[in-house]
Amino acid sequence: MRHLPKHLRPRWRYLGVGLETWPDARIDRGQFQRELYYTAQNLIGDIGSTDVDLSVYAFVFDDGEGAAVVRVRRGAVERGRAVLACVDRIADQPVRVTVRGVSGTVRACEERYIRRPLESPEERTVAFENADRFAFVRDRRVAVRTDSGFAGATDFDIE
Amino acid sequence: MYETVHARPDGTSTVSRLALTVSELGYDGLVVRCHDDAMAEYDPAALSTEFGIDVVEGVEIRADDRSAAASAITRHRSRRTIVCVHGGQHNRLACEDERVDVLAHPMADGDFNHVLARAAADNGVHVEFNFARVLRADGGERVEALRGLRRLRTLVDKYDVPYVVSADARSHLQLRAPRELFGVGATIGFTDDQVRHGLRAWGEIATRNRDRRSESFIEPGVRTGRYEEND
Repeated sequence: MRHLPKHLRPRWRYLGVGLETWPDARIDRGQFQRELYYTAQNLIGDIGSTDVDLSVYAFVFDDGEGAAVVRVRRGAVERGRAVLACVDRIADQPVRVTVRGVSGTVRACEERYIRRPLESPEERTVAFENADRFAFVRDRRVAVRTDSGFAGATDFDIE
Repeated sequence: MYETVHARPDGTSTVSRLALTVSELGYDGLVVRCHDDAMAEYDPAALSTEFGIDVVEGVEIRADDRSAAASAITRHRSRRTIVCVHGGQHNRLACEDERVDVLAHPMADGDFNHVLARAAADNGVHVEFNFARVLRADGGERVEALRGLRRLRTLVDKYDVPYVVSADARSHLQLRAPRELFGVGATIGFTDDQVRHGLRAWGEIATRNRDRRSESFIEPGVRTGRYEEND
């Protein structure tokens, strides 16, 4: 099939997106894509979803930190942001999705916003709230395993 | 712009982790508003220096009956910079008490009407547009939240009630950047300016209350200063 002439092709913008969750979470590209479509349908409906698009391009995820490139139609960037802000859980694991920036091409977006994942978190025992707890430590961020799931902390809270 | 949070033990993250994330998202400050039955222990001054944002001590008062709520307001007013009341059954009490800064999520399981809107405007009580259920619920619950926000917005516009906006995070994973809240706001019928104004209002309340609690303050417009002595 022949390509459309350039002036008739849809124009896209690519959102560089960061993902953060607890260190034991496992998320793959398919789950993220499904959650995006699902959230978009809930928030802006089928018609809005078609207007925004929201296809996932690049996707990396490791040890609770990840990044992705999400395609949106030009002119629907703000609605794309709204949908991403409403992604609260992926495969029943709480996540934080942040938009790091917007680019005109996939390549620029990857180069600028998709950093290599930080080194793996160090697993060790820390003193947290007067008890010895098991924790994942990555630079300043600490995820402490407590009786009721993980607690978010920093080096400021542990001795 | 400021964001508000519930920290451990009211939420799942510590104040310092929330402060770290809030500073990365580009906010100027963080209001800690744990419920008064689950207060976090932290040092606002140390965290402010550490993370380069303004950490504000707040509280959200949650009580079963009216007299308990009223005495909690009296108890916390002199100790905390920002006093919020957990909306719902005590909406009326909060709107009629000028010591209250913010009536949190008035529509969550209560009602807010033109009488309360007028009282809130007279007493300078800010009402909160709480985006928590828009961001984190779906289906019927979200529809109900949106209906509440719409009704609140009509009343706020009509009676010129002061307001604040918040995503009301309970962990650092629930925090959202200001631009993302603008996007969400635009999708559900707020203008960018309204959301920005609502996020800034937290900072304005904090500044005003700190000024009032400072030693030189006597009453609005009157303060002690250093003057030449008369002979």
